[in-house]
Amino acid sequence: MVTWLLLLLIAGPILFGFGILLAPGRDVRVGLTLTAAGVTAAAALYLSRWGPAYGGIFVPAHGLPILLDWLMIAAVIAIGWTSRHTPVLIMGVVQACIGLVLEFHPRAPQAAPQPEFLFDQLSLMLVLITSVVGALVLVYAIGYMDRHEHHGPHSQASQGQFFFFLTAFLGAMNGLVLANDLRWLSAFWEATTLCSYFLIGHDRTPEANQSARRAIIINVFGGMILQAGWLVSVLNGNGDSLIAFNQAQALIPVAFLVVAALTKSAQLPFQSWLLGAMLAPTPVSALLHSSTMVNAGVYLVMRMAPGFGGTRLATVIAMAGAFTFMATSALAVGQSNGKKVLAYSTIANLGLIITCAGMSTPLGYAAAFLLIVFHAITKGLLFICMGTIEQAIGSRDIEDMHGLMNKMPFTTVIAIVGMVAMLMPPFGVLLGKWIALESAVYLPVVMLLVILGSALTVVFWSKWLGRIVTVSYHQKYEMEDLPPVMSGSMLTLGIATLLSGFLAYPLFENFIKPLARVLYPLSSRTDASWKMLEMTESFMTWPIYALAILLVGSLLLTLMAVDENRLRKPFLCGENISDSALSYEFRSIMDRGEVAMMRSYYFSSIFGEENVSAWANPVAVALILSLFGVIAI
Amino acid sequence: MMSTMNQLLIALFAVVLAPAVGALLQGIDRRINARMQSRVGPPLLQPVYDVLKLLGKEGVILNRTQVLYAWIHLAFLMLATVLLVLGQDMIMTLLVVAVSTIALILGGMCVRSPYSRIGSSREIMQMLSYEPILVLLVIGIFMTNGSFMARDISLAGKPLLLTLPLIFLAFLLVTAIKLKKSPFDLATSHHGHQEIVKGITIEYAGPYLAILEVAHWYETALVFLVLAAFWATNWVVGISLAIIAFVIEILFDNLCARLTYQWMLAHMWTVGLGLSVTNLVWLYWK
Repeated sequence: MVTWLLLLLIAGPILFGFGILLAPGRDVRVGLTLTAAGVTAAAALYLSRWGPAYGGIFVPAHGLPILLDWLMIAAVIAIGWTSRHTPVLIMGVVQACIGLVLEFHPRAPQAAPQPEFLFDQLSLMLVLITSVVGALVLVYAIGYMDRHEHHGPHSQASQGQFFFFLTAFLGAMNGLVLANDLRWLSAFWEATTLCSYFLIGHDRTPEANQSARRAIIINVFGGMILQAGWLVSVLNGNGDSLIAFNQAQALIPVAFLVVAALTKSAQLPFQSWLLGAMLAPTPVSALLHSSTMVNAGVYLVMRMAPGFGGTRLATVIAMAGAFTFMATSALAVGQSNGKKVLAYSTIANLGLIITCAGMSTPLGYAAAFLLIVFHAITKGLLFICMGTIEQAIGSRDIEDMHGLMNKMPFTTVIAIVGMVAMLMPPFGVLLGKWIALESAVYLPVVMLLVILGSALTVVFWSKWLGRIVTVSYHQKYEMEDLPPVMSGSMLTLGIATLLSGFLAYPLFENFIKPLARVLYPLSSRTDASWKMLEMTESFMTWPIYALAILLVGSLLLTLMAVDENRLRKPFLCGENISDSALSYEFRSIMDRGEVAMMRSYYFSSIFGEENVSAWANPVAVALILSLFGVIAI
Repeated sequence: MMSTMNQLLIALFAVVLAPAVGALLQGIDRRINARMQSRVGPPLLQPVYDVLKLLGKEGVILNRTQVLYAWIHLAFLMLATVLLVLGQDMIMTLLVVAVSTIALILGGMCVRSPYSRIGSSREIMQMLSYEPILVLLVIGIFMTNGSFMARDISLAGKPLLLTLPLIFLAFLLVTAIKLKKSPFDLATSHHGHQEIVKGITIEYAGPYLAILEVAHWYETALVFLVLAAFWATNWVVGISLAIIAFVIEILFDNLCARLTYQWMLAHMWTVGLGLSVTNLVWLYWK
């Protein structure tokens, strides 16, 4: 049963994608997209009932993954050739050469047969994220793309093609997180790269083309590194299976795989492709940032965590992640472009997840697990809110979101929920940060970076929140007009985010602890970490509920205080102009009307992209080189 | 372990006692301040009288959400007090305090007054400058006691001041910000020397301002408790230590004039963080 469900989750979206591509009209396409979303989400939710059936899954089809691999390599070479993109072409050819060697090199005999797929708590959770959050983004995209077709550039590709790649992406991602055999893994890995290439380039404007080219060059590089790691492992006799790497603690292939993961997760210095991807239609960003693509990287690092656990390599991985967390949080402080702030915050959170996986303690692993789940839900929500806002106000600038509450209260309230969930307890992201801080205590440098990064995240979130929570004193709300597919998926994700704070405890009980017991058998150092894990969990009970009760209580007390007659205009050091539409207009010298506005601080001289990248990128490169340095020496 | 009933009683006791302590400390603060300026000063219970008077006034607001943020600010400070006296996790307590500060910031930002926005922006910068130092303080305590729980504060058997002397100095800087003392009263100065008076709270009036005042009592009591915890093995010494620290703060309040938030950020991240990190290096090398 589990095997069939998994097959449905991988092949289903891809087959539906072909249906969508060939669909004759809009209605059929929308129907098929909705069905694909529904089937995928339902299958994933149904799958979670089969939790106890964890284990390896053998699929006796050895020709298929190899065929897929070659198809992907051919596609990469074709893209490199047709778009005259020499580096991609070269890397495609290199991949083909590595592929040939891998094809014919004899394998060392393995002690036990290795399963092609692996179904455990980690892959189940990622399948759930991909399929459920991804399906919601898919539904949202139906409404978004109809508007985009009218208002977007005329050069854009067809909607059929767009939805084909969007839907197939979910299948490829599901395959990626389930694969144990590198033949399957690398096929799906390249498939996600190709999907993202076409989705980012959807608008076919010069900027979109450039972003797509940047995305493919970095990700094909990552794919090449992945294959190189695979080659090394085959030459060393470590075989083709991730589990085998972990058991043998084969550090060289693991290091290659981790670098590939860093490219996919857009960690420094590979961040530029994810920022370029911002130009694509927002559902693409939402999908790339929350439920697919970037998750592939952090997933792989978490999957390999036992393979590098307790080594010096682990410390360097933790350091690289923590450095990205700190530097990109600083970058986010300097941005007034809302989508860029979200992008940097994504990279920062992924960095934190990698840090936690690198700590190689059960507590750190728990933090990584919590972060990956809550970040996906919350970031998916924030991106689709951002897309709706952008379509409505025609700007991505945070300063232009002044008074958004009056124009589009529904979207604004949901966006506030998302931001609060990124920033405050009892919501998951903060729980993850808290556990991350406590488990970082044995790695002082990592800890310091995490502390500074956390302080910086508070700055950019509260600046943005402060901008959109502004309400004028004469509250005239005009409910915005959104198609039900957009408002419905926003509402669903919003409610999921609100409730997610209470998910932390069951996640601990059913997913994290059993998994950590397998991955981290008791040892002297992890002993203390186990104790901390138990303590953390005991904290999840009453204080979390107390927090929630206090929030609701404050809301009720506020509602009691409502009285129209007590509303006044703000103090502006001058007489307010009473008949002005703007409550912040006042009489200045010679009775002239003056508007009092205050921008937020951005400190572009300190946190501007050029200033930060100048020191952050070299440090990040040095850290990546150190990954190999610590193994070699 | 304490029974649930006992815990509940202690929590209730703390929720009632903390603002009383905070109000009294603020009263003493004003008296000492006045003496330093050769004045007599207000009665000891003046902060209480102030709040009672505010409660009797008409509650004027600019919009309804403003009130929500005031309540959240107070509620989360109360929760932080409860967490601390029940000996819970200190990092979580810090995060709860941070939420209450963010609520205050949003309270200043949700209105269209440029003055309260300036106050809020400055408060964000203050948070950025002191938050890392507070976390390092907790890390220092962990390195001493091997526990993040507040109830294990005297587990090592010797006063924290002896293992964390530099972090104590850094914490004094944080205290100045938290108690809104010069030169760190950028966001909510009582005086004109920071260009704006009462920036972040400028649009709060009457009973809603009273909520913020009571919240500040809690904040004062919390700071006092943490200062005293530096000598937790003997609470008499601890409280004396906290009182001395308070007097030093008041003295500096009278000595220092205005400065910019850039200066504050730069100095907190160099002097404050430098002190804390140096102290931690000793502990890691032990």
